[in-house]
Amino acid sequence: MNTVAVRTGLPAMIRHITRKMLLGKRIIIAGFIGLFIALILGYAGSQPYYYENPVDIGTDMMDLLILFFFMPIIAMIYGTSIVRDDIDDKSITPVVTSPIGRFPAYMGYYLSLAITLSIVMLGITSIGFVAFFGQTGGDGMGNLYVSMCGLVIIGSFAYSTLFLALSVALEKPMYMGLFYAFIWEGFIGSIPGSIGKLSIKYYLRSLGSEWIGHGSISRFRGIEGADAFLVLLLVAFIFLFIGGKLFEEKEIP
Amino acid sequence: MSAEKEEQRYPVVYAQGLSKWYKQVIGLNNFNLDIKPGITGIVGPNGSGKSTLFKIMLGMIRVNNGDIWVMGQRPWANPFLLEKMGFCPDYEYLPSETTGREFLRFVGGLHKMSGDVLESRIGEVTAIVGMLHALDRKMGGYSKGMKQRIKVAVSIIHNPQLVLLDEPLSGTDPLVRRDLVELIKRLNKEHGHDIIVSSHVLHDVEKMTRDVVLIYKGRAIASGSITEIRGLIDKHPHNIVIEGKGIGDLAKRLLDEKYVVSVGYNKDRTGILAQVSRPEEFFDDIAEIVATTECQVEKMCSLDDNLEAVFKYLVGGIG
Repeated sequence: MNTVAVRTGLPAMIRHITRKMLLGKRIIIAGFIGLFIALILGYAGSQPYYYENPVDIGTDMMDLLILFFFMPIIAMIYGTSIVRDDIDDKSITPVVTSPIGRFPAYMGYYLSLAITLSIVMLGITSIGFVAFFGQTGGDGMGNLYVSMCGLVIIGSFAYSTLFLALSVALEKPMYMGLFYAFIWEGFIGSIPGSIGKLSIKYYLRSLGSEWIGHGSISRFRGIEGADAFLVLLLVAFIFLFIGGKLFEEKEIP
Repeated sequence: MSAEKEEQRYPVVYAQGLSKWYKQVIGLNNFNLDIKPGITGIVGPNGSGKSTLFKIMLGMIRVNNGDIWVMGQRPWANPFLLEKMGFCPDYEYLPSETTGREFLRFVGGLHKMSGDVLESRIGEVTAIVGMLHALDRKMGGYSKGMKQRIKVAVSIIHNPQLVLLDEPLSGTDPLVRRDLVELIKRLNKEHGHDIIVSSHVLHDVEKMTRDVVLIYKGRAIASGSITEIRGLIDKHPHNIVIEGKGIGDLAKRLLDEKYVVSVGYNKDRTGILAQVSRPEEFFDDIAEIVATTECQVEKMCSLDDNLEAVFKYLVGGIG
């Protein structure tokens, strides 16, 4: 028997939404960001000065450009539009008229977003890594690559919860998304002291400080890696619950 | 239908005192409904509340007042009910870069179908709607009629008991209209789906079913057999505009006819507005009447071709 019994329509939903996002217009923006990172890191890697300590320099640049700056921005670009765009262009109709249920459908959107973001961020990370370390080489760069990939995947799953909830809660989520990505994560998260703990970046760097032995991230004084992971998990659950409940109660005009 | 059979019919949709408003705009106003199995037409002008009613039935929006039961269940937050319902919306929502087959796979998957069962069902429904030939083409290249057909296929992919078709004939040419009407009738007759179909053209719905609900400004103003509703509409005095040379002569002559209620000139006196109680007789006689005068008719049209005028008459000035 070739027929596979599936208990929910979620796999079909996740496949469709992920494919739609990966083949949508936003991938062009992600492509430009990838190109930009390739140019910057490629240029940096070509400078003889950096060859003295390439892994430290490369780690700092990837940390700054990818984890610190573009990760929340790309998450914002994808996350704040996913549900809102589907409501606006009515392509949400098959989902909300299917027997999946609103809360599970929200989880479907979340997983689609997190998978898409992970793929995009892994692509960008790989491009940046090859552009720099392809020229410089360096001890420990394999471990660095794996650690960076792990961080962008965790970051993708964490940021997705926040921006998806915004997408459901607000009519114009992009404004709040911009504020969060640039002001909150970019500025508030960098202020020394406890206030930094109110950003996702803080916990990602706490994790990174245990995983990566090079560059300034290795000297970051955050909390224990396991605790950081638990905090991210808790935050994810809270945002997923709030977003799912909002989506359950949302009228689709 | 015998009285016994009539009793066996249960309401597919039953609504009582249903109200829905969007801020200051009323979508439905104290709306009552009792839809039996078969094909039921919801007829009303644009903006009358047809789509609002469909969205409530699907649980996409909630009501502010009143109660509604679809197949005995309340639709809001009830995903299990959606297993038994299919929906063909009046708006465009098909992704242009996706083929018909891919989209049907996606929707079938949402309804827990997969593998051979899904593939075979895709073949079945596309054969029913006559879209097998274009199944692997991107939907962006579909004509309006093809899009309507694939939307109907999407609505029945999971073999639902109840299919909601919101303005399925809208924007299609007469040939496609005729085919779609036949398709909708077959969906009920041969495939056993109960169908609720909306339209702003009474004539279209008349071709599909005898059971009609007239909706206007969010209210069900009449429901039942189309014959009864036709009777109501025929009592409506029709307004007919006639323009041409020597129109005064014709105006005087028309006043002699019993079915002409009134005759008035338009502003520049180049035309008249005749109000007639029996339009069929008027149209039968008009050529003969004109021949008895010096009038040269250049234009003649009925102002009551649009449903809006009929509804205004039926509701006696609601709103």
